[in-house]
This record gives sequence, C-alpha cells and structure tokens, in this order.
Amino acid sequence: MSSLFASVMLPFILAPWVPALYRKAGRRVGFLVAVVPVSLFVYYLGFLGELGSEPVGFRLPWIPLLGVDLSFALDGFGLLFALLITGIGSLVVIYSTYYLGPREDLGKFYLYILIFMGAMLGVVTADNIVLLYIFWEITSVASFLLIGFWHTREESRWGALKAMMITVLGGFGILTAAVLLYVVGGSFELSALMENREAVLASPLYVPIVLLLLLGAFTKSAQAPFHIWLPGAMAAPTPVSAYLHSATMVKAGIFLVGRMAPLLGGTPLWYYTVSAVGAVTVFLGAFLAIRQTDLKALLAYSTVSQLGLIMPMFAAGTEVAALAGAAHILNHATFKGALFMLVGIIDHETHTRDLRRLGGLYKAMPVTAVLTGIAALSMAGVWPLNGFVSKELIFEAMLHPPFGPDVWTQAFAVLAVLGSAMTTIYCLILAHRINFGKPRYGDAEHPHDPPAGMLLGPVLLVGLVVLLGVYPYIAEGPIFNAAASGHMREEVHGHVHNVPVPGMPLAMSLIALGLGLWGYRHLESVRRAFDQVRPRVHANAVYDGILAGLDRLSRWMVRVHMTGLLRDYIAYILLVVFLGIGLAAAASGAAFDLRLDLAPMTFVEAVVIALIIAGAIAVAAFRHRLAAIVALSIVGLMVSFLYVQLRAPDLALTQLMVESISTVLILLAVRYLPPLPKEQDTARRKAADIALAAGAGALVAFLALMTNANRLFPSISQYFVENSKPLGGGSNIVNVILVDFRGVDTMGEITVLGIAALSVYALVTLRQRTRGRAERPVDDPPVAFDDPRSAARDAREGEMP
Amino acid sequence: MSPNGLALPVVLPMLTGIALILLPRRAEWQRRISAVSTAVGFLIAVALIRQVRAEGIQVLYVGDFPAPFGIVFVGDLLSTLLVALNMLVAAAVLWYAFLTMDPERERFFFYPLFQFLLMGINGAFLTGDIFNLFVWFEVLLIASYILLTLGGEPYQLQEGFKYVMINMLASTLFLVSVSVLYGTLGTLNMADMAVKIAEVKDSPVVAIASVLLLIVFGIKAAIFPLYFWLPRSYVAPPGAVTAFFGGVMTKVGVYAMVRVYTLLFGVDDGFTYTLLVWIAGLSMVVGILGTLAQMDFKRILTWHIISQIGYMVMGLAIFTPLALAGAIYYVAHIMVVKTALFLASGVTEKLTGTTNLKKMSGLLTTHPALGALFFVGGLSLAGVPPLSGFFGKFTLIQAGLAEGRYGIVATAVGVSLFTLFSMIKIFRTSFWGEVRHKAAADRAVDLRTYGALLGPLALLVAVSVGMGLGAQFTVGYVLESAHQLLQPSLYIQAVLGSGLGS
Repeated sequence: MSSLFASVMLPFILAPWVPALYRKAGRRVGFLVAVVPVSLFVYYLGFLGELGSEPVGFRLPWIPLLGVDLSFALDGFGLLFALLITGIGSLVVIYSTYYLGPREDLGKFYLYILIFMGAMLGVVTADNIVLLYIFWEITSVASFLLIGFWHTREESRWGALKAMMITVLGGFGILTAAVLLYVVGGSFELSALMENREAVLASPLYVPIVLLLLLGAFTKSAQAPFHIWLPGAMAAPTPVSAYLHSATMVKAGIFLVGRMAPLLGGTPLWYYTVSAVGAVTVFLGAFLAIRQTDLKALLAYSTVSQLGLIMPMFAAGTEVAALAGAAHILNHATFKGALFMLVGIIDHETHTRDLRRLGGLYKAMPVTAVLTGIAALSMAGVWPLNGFVSKELIFEAMLHPPFGPDVWTQAFAVLAVLGSAMTTIYCLILAHRINFGKPRYGDAEHPHDPPAGMLLGPVLLVGLVVLLGVYPYIAEGPIFNAAASGHMREEVHGHVHNVPVPGMPLAMSLIALGLGLWGYRHLESVRRAFDQVRPRVHANAVYDGILAGLDRLSRWMVRVHMTGLLRDYIAYILLVVFLGIGLAAAASGAAFDLRLDLAPMTFVEAVVIALIIAGAIAVAAFRHRLAAIVALSIVGLMVSFLYVQLRAPDLALTQLMVESISTVLILLAVRYLPPLPKEQDTARRKAADIALAAGAGALVAFLALMTNANRLFPSISQYFVENSKPLGGGSNIVNVILVDFRGVDTMGEITVLGIAALSVYALVTLRQRTRGRAERPVDDPPVAFDDPRSAARDAREGEMP
Repeated sequence: MSPNGLALPVVLPMLTGIALILLPRRAEWQRRISAVSTAVGFLIAVALIRQVRAEGIQVLYVGDFPAPFGIVFVGDLLSTLLVALNMLVAAAVLWYAFLTMDPERERFFFYPLFQFLLMGINGAFLTGDIFNLFVWFEVLLIASYILLTLGGEPYQLQEGFKYVMINMLASTLFLVSVSVLYGTLGTLNMADMAVKIAEVKDSPVVAIASVLLLIVFGIKAAIFPLYFWLPRSYVAPPGAVTAFFGGVMTKVGVYAMVRVYTLLFGVDDGFTYTLLVWIAGLSMVVGILGTLAQMDFKRILTWHIISQIGYMVMGLAIFTPLALAGAIYYVAHIMVVKTALFLASGVTEKLTGTTNLKKMSGLLTTHPALGALFFVGGLSLAGVPPLSGFFGKFTLIQAGLAEGRYGIVATAVGVSLFTLFSMIKIFRTSFWGEVRHKAAADRAVDLRTYGALLGPLALLVAVSVGMGLGAQFTVGYVLESAHQLLQPSLYIQAVLGSGLGS
C-alpha cells in the first residue's frame, strides 16, 4: 500500500509551498489548502468497511541499522483517527479562512497546519515505535508554533512553551520506553514486538516501560497532573483549538494507549494506573471547568475531563470498553469540535468569550445558539444525541472491569458519575445560560449569525451529533467495531443502542443528569462552594516553581564558581590534577615502585638547585617587577648551568639564548605596564595558594621520580644514535632529530613562532589604530544576566589577577 | 594510491597561510585564495575518506623513517571524517567572514591566521605521534589565541589572556604526561605505545598518565570541571571566530580523548568508566544549568558547548560500538549545528546590533527565513527528530540502555529537554513578539547582504537535515568508524606492521 505512505507524506511535501502560494493567491489560500485534507479524507473513506483488526501495511527501509524503518500499518483503529484528522481538518481549514483576519499571516498558518496534519497521520499509521515517536514530536512542534501563532501576545508565547515542555517531556518518555522495548523485545516494529509479548511482560523492565510510555500518553492527552498545558494552549486561534486541542492531537495519548494495549496491557498495573489517572482527571477537569468564566477555558477543561473518560476505555481490554472508547472518540470529536467553532463564532461576533458578559444570544444569532445547545446537550449525555450513546457504553464498561469489581473500580465509577454531573452543569451553561435570558452581547451591538462558510463546520458536525444519536447503527460496524477490532487486534462484534435500556448504566446517567440539573439551578452557590476549594499543591505552581528554581540555581551556580579570576581557575585545575592523580593511583591498586637509586648529588648541583628554588620563591615574593624579572632570569640561568653539569651543552646553549632574549623582551615590555596592583589577599588565601604551588612542584617531582623508577621498556633513542650519521648525515644527534627524524615537529614549532611574531605586530598595530574609537556599543556591555550584580562582577574582571 | 595525501590537509593550509601573509593589502585576493584553498582542502579530505574506506587505514611515514622512530600521519575513518568536517565548517565560516569581517581585521592577518588554525587542527586529527600532537596543539592554540584577541577590544584581551594562560597550563601538563609516558615506555609513536601499554596494563604509571592526559584534553574539550575558560572567552571575538571556535575547537580535545582511550588505555568497567560517566553527566548538567538564567544569545550557545561535550564523553564511557558511534555522530552533528547556530546569532547581531535577548523581538515577522533556519537548527541541537541531533541522542540512549546504564541515560534525556527549553527561549524572545529591536533603518543591513549572510547558515542547516534523513548512511559510517576504533590492532598493524619492515 504505497498510497498509504503517500497519504502521510503528501501534507509534508505540500507544506513548504504554502507561503509562496499565499503570496500568489492571497486570502483564498485556505480553499486551495483545503483540497489536501478533503482529498485525503476521501482516500481514507475508501477504507471504510474494509478494515478491522487486520491492517494494510507499507514498509520501506530507512535506517535498518538502528531498526528504524518507514513501516506503516492502517487498521480500523488508525482509520478512525485518520478520518478525524482529515475530516475535522477539512472543516477547520475552511472555517479558519473566515475566522482569521485579513492581516494574519495565512501562509505560516497553513504551513503549520499541514505539517501537523502529516505528522498526526504519521502517528496513527506508524507501525514502528520510533517512527511513531518522530511524528509525535513533530506534532508537538507544530502545536507549539500554532499556539504561538499570535506571538505578539505574552500568553501565547507562554502557553506555547508550557505545552511544548510538557508534551516533549512525555515524548522523551515514549522514546525511552521504545528503546527499552527494543532491549527486551529486539525490535521497534509493533508487529514484531507482538510476537515477543511474553518476553516483554516477563521482563524486569516491564514496569518502567509501562510508566514511561504512559507518561507520554498522559502528557499529550492532558491527564492530571499534566493537564495544565491545555488551558494555556487556548491562546491559539480557535480553529487550532478545535482541531489540535480537542479533536485530534490531544487524542494521540489515547491512541497510544489503545495501540500499545495489546502489547503491554492486560496487567493490573496497566489497567489501574490508566483508570485511576483517568478517573481523577474526569473529576478534576469537570470541577475546574465550572470555575471558568472564559468560554474557551471552560471547553479546555471540559476536554481534559472527557479525555479522562475515554482513556481508561482502552486500558480495560474488554470488548464493551473498546467499543465505548471508539464511539466516544468520534462523538467527542463531533460535539467538541463543533463547540469550539461555535465559541469562535460567538467570540468573533461579540468580541468576548467571558460568559458573564454573554446572554440571550438566541435572539441575535439563532442558528449559532441552536447548534451550541445541541452540541452541549450531547456532551451532557442527553438522549437522543450521540453523547448519550457512548456514555451509556462507558458506564457499562466501567461496571464490568477486567479484573472484577473491587473498591477501586467502584471509586472510579463514582468519580465518573460525579464528573458527569458537573459536566451537565457546564453543558447547561453553554446550552442555556448564554443563549437565553437577558441579552448581553459583550462588546457588540447587533451580533448576528456568521456567513454560511463559517457555519459549514458546525452544521456538519452537529448534523453528525444528531445522526449518530438517533441512528448510531450506521457507524456500528464500519467505524466503532472496526476501530475496536483494530485496537484489540481481534474482531469485535459489539452493539450500540440508542434506546434507553433500564439498568445500572442508565441509572448512573440519570443520577448524573439529575445532580447536574440541581447544581445548575443553584449555580451561584455551587460556584461559591467550588471557589472555596484551594488545593495546597497546584500543578501549575509546581511547573512555575521548577522553572523559577532552576533559574535561581543557574544564577547561583555561575555566581559561585565563575569568578572571572584567572587565579581561581588555575587553582581549580590544580586541585583537579591532584584529585585525578590521587584517584588514579588509589584505583590502580598496584604498589608503586619508587626506588630512589639516584646518583649522589654533588656540591655544585646542590648549590645550583638551591639557587633555582630561591629564585622561584623570589619571583613570587618580590613586589617590584624589575626585581622579579631578575629573580626569574636567575632561575633560567641556573637551569642552563645544570644542563652544563649534566653534559648537555646544546640544551644549555638553547636555554641560555631563550633566557636572555625573553628577559630582554620582558624588560622592554615592563615600561608599558601599569604598576602592580596592591595586594588584597587574606592570609588564608595566601596560605592556600602557597600550598597549591608547593603541591604542584611536589607533584612534578614525584612524577619525575616515578618515571625514573619505571623505565619499563628500552627507549627508541638508540635508533637515533645508530642512524644519525648514516640516515641524517650529521653526528650531532639532537640536531638530526630536530631537523630530520622529527622535522615535522620543528616545522610546527617554527610556525608557532611565526604566528606569534605576526600576531604581536597585528595586535600592537591594530590596537593603536582602533584606540580612541568607540570600542563597544555602550548599550551592549558584556553582561551575563540582567541583574546589576553580574554587571558589577564583569566590571571587577577588569582587574588583571 | 599512495598515502602522501595525508600530508595535504596540513601542508595546504600552511602554504596558503604563508602566501596570504604576503598579500596584506589585497583583501579581495586573500578571500579568493582562502576560499579556493579551503574548498580544495575539503575535497582532499573527502578523497582521503574514500581512500580509507577503500584501502583501510592509511599511514604516511614522514621522511620515510620507519615507525616507531619517525613521525607518522595516520588516516582512519574517524580522523579523515573530522578533517573533512573541519574543512566544511571552515568553508561556511569563511563564507560568513567574507561578508562580515571588518577591513581592519582582514588587513591584519585574519585569513592567514585562520589557515594556520586549520593546519593545527588537521595536524592534531591526523598525527600518530603523541609529541607531534602536542606540537599541533601549540599551533592551534597560538593561532586561536590571536584570533580571539585580534582587534584588541578590552573585553577580548581580558578574556583572551585567561584563555591563553589556562591553555599554557594545559600544555605544560601535556608535556609532563608525554615525558612520563616516554620515560616509561621509551616511545612516542602511539601505535607502539599501545603495544607496550598492553603489556603493562596494570602499572600505576600508566593509570596516572592516562588521567593526566584526560585532564589535558579535558581542558581543551571543556569538560566538567575544567571548562571555566570557555563561557566568556568565546563571547568576546567577532561572530565568525566565535562560530568556528564554538563548532570545532573543543572537538579537537574530544577527538584526542577518544583516540587515547580507544588506542592506548581502553575503558574498563571500573575506575575509568566511573570517572568518565561522572564527567559526562556533570558536564551535561552544569552546561545546561549555565544556560538557564542567561539572556544573551551567544552566552546561551557557549554554555551549551559544555553540556554537549558531556554527550560525547558519555559515548566514550560506555565504550560499545554503538555508544562510540553515537559519540562520533554527536561530534559531527555538533560541529555542524553549533556553528550554524552561532552564525545565526551573528546574523541576528548584525540586524539588531545586540545579542541581548531582551533587546530584540519580532525577528520572525521581519526576517522569516532567518527565523526558520534558527528554529530548525535549534530543534536539531535539542535532538528533535528527524534532524541530526536526534540520531546522535537516540544512538547514545540505545547504547546506554542496552548496557543498563540508566543513570546517565536519564541525565542525557533530561538535559536534552532543557536544551530544547533554552533554544525555545531564544526563539520566543527574539523571533516572536512585537518588532521591538532597533529599526533596521539605522542598522542598514540591506536585503542583499542579509540574503547572502543566510547562505552559510542555510548550508550548515541543510547538512544537519541531510545527516538526519540520511541516517542510514551517516550512522553506518560512524558505526564502521567505531568498530575500527575498538579494534586497535587494525591501527597498530597499519602503523607498525609494514613500517618495521621498510
């Protein structure tokens, strides 16, 4: 099925051309772009009724070395998502051409949308986990760009960052889990891993694999406590919220759970973790939704809550749960997608989303109001809309948990009912409160229904809400059962029903509706009561706290050790050397051979060495530059003298020359140097420096002695002695080594000297030329941070150590 | 084919540099000659890679003195790859320098110094002699020092001084360790040393020398805890120099580490692994921590260098073919991407006159192409698939988990999240937002110059994307290279096997 591959790649291939197309076609670009999702939607529709648990596949080697190939597989489960991605995608693209103003950069908008679409299709069709992860991350990036589309607003930038950080964190979880799966199961291909399921389940890595994978699913699907990014993502233009943040991307986590369930599921760990997180999320999301006054924020929390309802359905592993999950994915996409677009219309018309400033919209914009009402009632689970159908199934599934009912599953059910009751409350707000009562139109005088093109999406989606509510059987086989089969990897033949059947699920629905109605009648007191709840731990505060804490830690770390003083840095390095050598010596364990069978020291040598030591101390001690230079030259001269003593006249001569020249040069340079700064060190610091210096000297002495005692192999120098004359044509071995045997070294060193000479000339001349010119823009001092302390520190660095 | 080609990456820049010194007033000619020479150098390096792939490790006995007595140049898959990357990055940076370098610096030997720097770096990659390695370190140190300070702005001099002093200390330590090794083993040829070290593996002298060399190369590579010279000195010089240093210089230290640990010392499961893995983890963490509070484009990038060196050391520590391949891949990736990002910061500075993130915003609106290039580069650095950074990270994670090294893998993954955070910070503050940076009017970077400035940046970003999409080839290459490194006998055989006979 290479067409499957092509269908995923098509949006990617076309995306880069969109900005250019926008420059040509202007605002009509949306209709041209819409061709892509519409044709893909038609393409995927062709699979309806043909796919169930058996996938159609495509495979192209990409990086076989790493086990990452372009392998795709589409089954009924993926098909459901693919239809949502392309179907809702088509509606959103058309809707957005009306929604976005004339000044918006539509080129970038549709570029991001197409990239997202391709990536999302990749997620739901990939058969290789790493490939899935790659697409997964691209959806996070596209989501980041789309949330930040109105990037001049601070809340957009902030929301985009938060969404990215949290979803990418989860993405890393998936990546790590994938690699662990590879370690255990020997492949990244899902189909291959399925055959190794026993090994995976038995592995000690099973628990981390599950938890890391679920981290990815929970973050993407905004499950508590990772739900905090979704409300922030509402800073995106409403079409984006409708598309990514309600209908498709946030369901990727659910998809992942459903996709991996046959491999990793079937264990209590899997089921209880997902169910517990889902149940808490249902409750928390609905609870927080009621507290909102911004319509989009309300919808965002409602999405959080609904996702929590769906997620556990794919962890249970029972047929009815799979069917319930599949049905609610579609149903939620229809009513929530419609609601977002409708809220966008209301916002567009009244210039507000604050529900305290909205009311009586039915009079001004009846079509919008009716559509909103139907969609909201469906979300509340009112008969005969599609929300009712799937909610019944969900309750039924919750009553038949895979490991039998226990106190936990009962708690999940109670949380779900309470969450549904609160859902009813906010759905009534959407359906009733803003549509009826006293007219309040926000900032607008006479809002009215939008043009037909903008209503197209909501009308079609609400049409589906009604159709799937009244006659769900139309989707039972080709969509619901097909998706459930794909998820279960075996054929599922479940039944949906839209006739209320007396029983426990219906009772739960009725309790939820009744409680919700009661709560809506006492909305103000409920709100007041809810506002009283001030949890001590707040996920947002944790997120902010981590960022702020790391920021402080960073400043502290840099301040503490990046003193800017060379002497500190040298002290650090010497300490590292001591520590490193100490550790190495301790670790090697073998005894040291430090025979001190040295030749006896002659009197002359002793004197020379004493002078060297005295000279070195004097260099450090003298407060006057000239005196220090003299002391330094004494050291050099004495070293040369030592060479003479050791019968190395060549070396002595070289050393003597170097000494004389450098002394002269330093003396010449001294003229231009400022006087030595006053010493300000504490006695302790001085003592430490002396200890360090002495230690460094002792260390080198130790190394020399150690080397001398451990001449383990004969030296190659014998070769030079023998071949200096025949091969090098000279009897002075040192010379022949320098210019012949190791001529490359000499060439390199000559280059060093040449560069040094060149650069002294360049530095001095260029410095003189540029002097007097403004050397750095005044407004751009080399400041690390934006606080005054670091400026002070940078100023302090000016003191040469 | 004869192995004489191995000398070219050293000789060509040297001769070019000398020629350029003679043309101080002909900036135009300096540029042309530099460009041609660097491009030819790149092609030579590619030819060397092909030769090594076809015929195995290449050895050049300089002066035809047999190993281990004379100096040898050795080209294997790793060293020739790094030479090629060095030349590639150098070409991009030179391209950028042609457009941005001020005439004063051009007059005062910027281009010849740059060629000498290339000579030193290539020499360090290619030499098979430890003392000769020291010499090349000296060459690249002195050249880099002058490039850092050229122009003599006070901040440059102040930071350059620390840079050179710390590096002098490192050189001294290098010399001490070479002396210890020579005194003990009686040889300087690395292949010969490898043979002899294998015989006296447990000697504490070898252990001490290995740690000393680790410290020396660690200073060059800016690993934890030896990085203090880096974050500030790299901010000081002009954009082109910072870009090249940020991309290439520290990798010479990493290369040397990889070379001595694979060829000479090996990484055992105990002490060396523990040491390296802690260095890797702490480098990652400290480097990333350093970026978090920064609000300066270049400073964020420089702190990142430390963190990314950690990933390379991680691969070395784990020491399996896959891990080493990951480390090499990471080196290649960082050389390309880091340079690209520094170039992006340079272009941004040209446009806005600042690198302070708080003083610019809205660049995506005014300069979308730059925004797109930076965004892709930044994502690549953070390891977002399918760009080059992802495959480096992925390979390392795979290698780490296969060996059960969970701690370092967790660190690597966590740090890459914050790498992303810091890249996004730059993007959020300077590319998004209202157009607030100083009006382009007085900064007067005309459209053509701006377009040209994007050229080298686009080239490097394209290489990063290509490295990612063509991962089968790139990962295949580094894996092959890792296998070669983990069989030191190949290297030894190539150097000593035929050399002893001649």
